[in-house]
Amino acid sequence: MDTFSLLVTAIKTLAIYLLIIQVVPVMIYVERKIAALIQDRPGPNRVGPFGLFQPVADFIKLLMKEDPVPSNVNKFLYQLGPYLAVLPASLAIAALPLGDQFEIQGQTFLLQIADLDVGLLYIFAIGSLGIYGILFGGWASNNKFSLIGAMRSASQIVSYEIPLALGATGAVMVYGTLSLREMVFKQSGTFLGVLPNWGIFVQPLGFLIFFVSAFAETNRLPFDLPETEAELVAGFHTEYGSMSFASYFMAEYIAMTTMSAVMTTIFFGGWQIPYVSDTWLLSVVGSKNILALIQVAVFMFKVMIFMCIFVWVRWTLPRFRFDQLMKLSWGNLIPLGLINIVLTAAAIYFWDMR
Amino acid sequence: MNEAIFIGLGVFTLLCASSVVLCKSPVYSAFSLILSFFGLAGLYVMWASPFLAMIQVLVYTGAIVVLFVYVVMLINPGGGGSVYRNGIVMMTSALLVWSVCLLLLKSMTGGSQSAGGAHSVTLKMAAKLLFTRYLWPFEILSIFLIVMIVAVFALAKEPKRGKA
Repeated sequence: MDTFSLLVTAIKTLAIYLLIIQVVPVMIYVERKIAALIQDRPGPNRVGPFGLFQPVADFIKLLMKEDPVPSNVNKFLYQLGPYLAVLPASLAIAALPLGDQFEIQGQTFLLQIADLDVGLLYIFAIGSLGIYGILFGGWASNNKFSLIGAMRSASQIVSYEIPLALGATGAVMVYGTLSLREMVFKQSGTFLGVLPNWGIFVQPLGFLIFFVSAFAETNRLPFDLPETEAELVAGFHTEYGSMSFASYFMAEYIAMTTMSAVMTTIFFGGWQIPYVSDTWLLSVVGSKNILALIQVAVFMFKVMIFMCIFVWVRWTLPRFRFDQLMKLSWGNLIPLGLINIVLTAAAIYFWDMR
Repeated sequence: MNEAIFIGLGVFTLLCASSVVLCKSPVYSAFSLILSFFGLAGLYVMWASPFLAMIQVLVYTGAIVVLFVYVVMLINPGGGGSVYRNGIVMMTSALLVWSVCLLLLKSMTGGSQSAGGAHSVTLKMAAKLLFTRYLWPFEILSIFLIVMIVAVFALAKEPKRGKA
């Protein structure tokens, strides 16, 4: 690889990373605004026009605060915890396909940090590591509430990783690939002549299972048992303050973004606009780079819709009890996922759904 | 370049693996185990089998070690010495472990063609090799694991101190 393409790749990596990270402050604002809308109150409206600078003010506040380390904690693991939470969440961004490709000086580059053959597995594998930040942080805090929160989080994430993978397996069988980029290409055109050929129409049950599990994987309401403020003070991050707390918060939001992006990619056609083919769009706009921009915009639009659904669900549904949560995974979602796989296999065998 | 990465990863994996055994606190042991598995996954990538690397991270680092850490944190065992620290027991177990290792080595290097090398291993090839050439080592390993579980049970059980 020559210096020029290396430089472009480096800039591309940074740009994609920053684009995804930017979702965090935007989402903090959106979350508070939607919460206010649902609870019939104005929400943040003091800092800047419509309270738009509220996330900036929050961030400065968190940055300026002292970050005390409690005296009886395991210092090494306590301070490592937030890093262990943010790092896997950030690493998972590498496999997300934001668009097809762009062109600089005759060279084409993929709009994706790394096009892995095992992209989906990579996201699952790296995503499953986020638990260590919670686990080690909660344990090192030397606090019963933190420990119980961490334990809950561990059992919850391990239980819901299975239906998450099962839900995606059906789609993988239909597309016949684990590469997220190819999955998007496989979703062009129409399904049964009317609907867009998206994963959600081909795999409705798989999507439902994946969708429910995604909430549990990201510790979001109605499954936010690790941090139930009514029982556990704040759960695994009870002892954390200032930027350490913010790191956990950030990790949760990046994980949410990644989950939304994966759902968009597997089940909602990635960067594709329904009924509009990429080749036709290219002939209209004329330039590959403008097409790439449109694709990224469409992708981010779909991701943001999912993020809003995350927030909407959070302020609408009450929290599950822990035994209900476990029952939902092991008793309902996993059998449903297995049934879905059998049905999909049968459909592929008899009608050649591919 | 590749050789340097390979040696670096190998040394990292082995260092972490030995720290699993040497650490006094079980939580640090588990932490070293995670790092060691990461090194192993890196080695798999170097051997051109990213699929195996991902499965390694997904299954071992992401699920099994989570359960290890979970149990360690829940029962919070003290770092006390083992009750089995007696010459005959240690000698016998060392002998057994080494003989199993030799058995594994012998059954894996038996054939003429080597499965390693830098060519990429597809899923189908891996599955076929697992059920033909490597069936015997695979089964030995599974028995080895069961023995390990029993041993851990024996080690983790609190020694009886009269009637509780």
